[in-house]
Amino acid sequence: MQNYIIFSTLLFAIGIAGLFINRKNIIILLMCLEIILLAVNTNFIIFAKAWGDIAGQAIVFFVMTVAAAESAIGLALVVLIFRDKHSISVDQLNQLNG
Amino acid sequence: MQNIMFWTCATFAIFASALCISAKNPIRAVLSLIATFLATAVCWLMLEAEFLAATLVLVYVGAVMVLFLFVVMMLDIGPATLRARFTRWFPIGVALAAGLFAAIYAILRKAAGTLTAHENLLSYAAEVSNTEMLGKLVFTNYLLQFEVAGIILLVAIIAAIGLIYRGPQARKVQRIAEQVAVDPKMRVRLVDGA
Amino acid sequence: MNILWYLAVTVVCAPLLGAITVGLLNKKLSRSLAHWITCSLMLVCFGASSSILVGFLIGKFNTVDIDLYVWGNTSNLSIAVGFLLDRLSALMIAIVSFVSLVVHVYSIGYMHDDPGYQRFFCYISLFTFGMLMLVMANNFAQLFFGWEAVGLMSYLLIGFWYKKEAANFASLKAFLINRIGDMGFVLGIAAVLYYFNSLHFKTVFAQISTLVATNPMLAITNTVQWPAISFICICLFIGAMAKSAQIPLHVWLPDSMEGPTPISALIHAATMVTAGIFMVARMSPLYEYSETALTLMLIIGSLTCLFMAILAIVQTDIKRIIAYSTLSQLGYMVVALGASAYAAGIFHLVTHACFKALLFLGAGAAILAVHHDQNIFKMGNLHKYMPITAVTMLIGNLALLGFPGTSGFYSKDLIIASVRNSSLTFSTIAYYIILFTVLITTFYAARLMLVAFRTQERMAEDVREHLHEPRKVIWVPLIILAIPSLFLGMIMITSILNQFFGDAIFVLPAHDTVAMFKTQDFHGWFSMWLHGFVSLPFVCILMGMCLAWLCYEKYPALPGIIQNDAKLMTRILLAKFGFDDFNEKIIMPATRKLGNYCWQIGDVLCIDGIMVNGTANSVGRVAGVLKHAQTGYLYHYIFIIVAGLLALLVWTMFL
Repeated sequence: MQNYIIFSTLLFAIGIAGLFINRKNIIILLMCLEIILLAVNTNFIIFAKAWGDIAGQAIVFFVMTVAAAESAIGLALVVLIFRDKHSISVDQLNQLNG
Repeated sequence: MQNIMFWTCATFAIFASALCISAKNPIRAVLSLIATFLATAVCWLMLEAEFLAATLVLVYVGAVMVLFLFVVMMLDIGPATLRARFTRWFPIGVALAAGLFAAIYAILRKAAGTLTAHENLLSYAAEVSNTEMLGKLVFTNYLLQFEVAGIILLVAIIAAIGLIYRGPQARKVQRIAEQVAVDPKMRVRLVDGA
Repeated sequence: MNILWYLAVTVVCAPLLGAITVGLLNKKLSRSLAHWITCSLMLVCFGASSSILVGFLIGKFNTVDIDLYVWGNTSNLSIAVGFLLDRLSALMIAIVSFVSLVVHVYSIGYMHDDPGYQRFFCYISLFTFGMLMLVMANNFAQLFFGWEAVGLMSYLLIGFWYKKEAANFASLKAFLINRIGDMGFVLGIAAVLYYFNSLHFKTVFAQISTLVATNPMLAITNTVQWPAISFICICLFIGAMAKSAQIPLHVWLPDSMEGPTPISALIHAATMVTAGIFMVARMSPLYEYSETALTLMLIIGSLTCLFMAILAIVQTDIKRIIAYSTLSQLGYMVVALGASAYAAGIFHLVTHACFKALLFLGAGAAILAVHHDQNIFKMGNLHKYMPITAVTMLIGNLALLGFPGTSGFYSKDLIIASVRNSSLTFSTIAYYIILFTVLITTFYAARLMLVAFRTQERMAEDVREHLHEPRKVIWVPLIILAIPSLFLGMIMITSILNQFFGDAIFVLPAHDTVAMFKTQDFHGWFSMWLHGFVSLPFVCILMGMCLAWLCYEKYPALPGIIQNDAKLMTRILLAKFGFDDFNEKIIMPATRKLGNYCWQIGDVLCIDGIMVNGTANSVGRVAGVLKHAQTGYLYHYIFIIVAGLLALLVWTMFL
């Protein structure tokens, strides 16, 4: 079980690191989010098994639904941003600065 | 056997995800993310989450990642624009991620330590399949949540279309009313032949 | 009890309903509908109030004190809306609604062509509502509500012709001077609350004997201490001074004649100005224990009585003459209160309401006839053209000067006799002052009648051609008012002397000057009438009449000669003893300077500068610094989020 936990936590950390490292591409940011969600889902499954309770898996099911919806809308937004600015670089998206 | 399987898949998934976040080419990133998903799906199988593993492959790899690929190709961003990715934020990011890893791992270990099962994972009841168990649970206890999830998906569809849709462009439409009401003079021009 | 309750609610709600309907619909109502609604509702109100009075007179109703509902509640103070109905308030609501009804009807004619017709009816109905609330109040808070309501309506009605600058000035003046009085009034109410822990009349009056027994002292300054009861009474009387226009807070009343004449009749003669008198009579259980306050009232009342009557002699504006006579008559009432003859004061209030309303409405008729010229020296011999007005005016004036037999005679003679019986220090001087005032009253009343209604015709030729008796809606109210002006005194005098007010008015036996008059001099109304012809006041009346006849009928040049010879006196009189000048040259600039100072320091600097704009500015400044944290870069935000998450996790771990 310990190995599984290491695995999922490592996935999570990689996802977080990806959010920082990326400067040029929002799509990769979205993918990092997918990695993070995958790590979380894995955790749910691990502990569902550890507890012997299938409810953990049900939650993963719902998380996946929401994640799918999120990525669909996120990609739509990316397309809009690209249409507007002809770029999807994270560096150039700072209109909200103070 | 299981251990070997796990180590292989896990290592593969970690490498693939590291490649994903560091790839210069977005298409390569998408492909390595797909690899990550596939490897993780194998791990899920070993955790007796067969239905979810199948869903991960079918829905994520089959639909969501294809959508990603689709968008990446549609937007046509050359690898040239992806230069200079590693900035001065790189060490900070890595340090933060490492710290987060340590913290989360410590907490999860603590949580797992309280379990009676300790290192040995339980097994679900053998006579009922994973899909059946999950189905019973989702369609009874979590029925409302299930319906809400459906509505969320519907909203996502509508929202995505609504965001992207730009109205009819260069569509060839037959305007019957105008065709019927046409005046011969608009079509035929009499030319003096002499 | 139950039927009395319904009647009381009807009395208050009918005028309010009329005011709301006409006020909200305003121009959407036709003129005739506006006056029909308000007049018929006033008729309902008068019917209800007169049946309450009749019920009290025949003994069917007894004093009731009802709380309609509790308006507000704090730990030790509950403010209720309620009615105290006894013989005093029953008489007051009857007279208020009677005069108000008559004035409503009269206004149909007087305001006939006015563009603000509906507004006018809304105002006078609302005024009536306020006055009735005041009179029927059973606690100080409601009394104060009514007090302020009539003050507000008086302001609105004096400034009714708001395009006239003088009217605006006069309305502001009335409002401001009433504020001065209100300050005293509120202080008095606060002192009542402080010492009695309640605002209910009943509770307050019940505790008076204990307060008198302990006689707490109130430190005005470090060294000066006053008995609390005197402080309360004098503060309340300051409020009454402003409302009932006593020296030196009287200056607003003559100016208030800028308003329409029906208003002068309703508010500035018959009802509102008597609120102060009523209030003091209502507070008689308090005043009885403060000889200081009683003496102060004697002094103020007699001074007002005399000096305002003197001023009436030099006025040429018909409404101002009557206004000064109102001041003088209010002085009589205050003197009566000072002599503990509360019943006599209220009696004079009632008769005065009738004949003064009559005088104003008659004056209004005369003013209408000569096309809104109020100068009596531009009238003359009007009795030839408008006999009904002339006769009713004559009746009103006879009642005013107290000619034996008229209503004014009974009430005024009762006051004079009570003051003679009083044992307060100042009472002898006050007695001679008010006796002398009878002479002056007669002089100016006779002057008014002679100059305006007899002698030569001095109006312009084109005005004379159109002179005629006014419309029916105008002269019918005159006759309706003339009847009580003549006969009310004879009817009421016996019952007034026989404890008419019952438990509503409290008089210490040692102060009971009215009872002294009853036991020593009273043998029925008829013998009082006959006795009136051989008493001192009648001598004064005769002297005043002779003087007026000499000056204005026999030798019309005489007043001019006197004016030329006594220039200083004329100047003083025309300057109205300089009260206005004093206010305008000294009080006004000083308050203005003070106000300016407060405005600059308190408002501009503290409130606007520091609190309002200061808050906005400092928020802006802080935000100006904080906004740099908002770089707009996603990874900065993510960094903060993740760092925060990490910090939280570490914190949880070591918890």
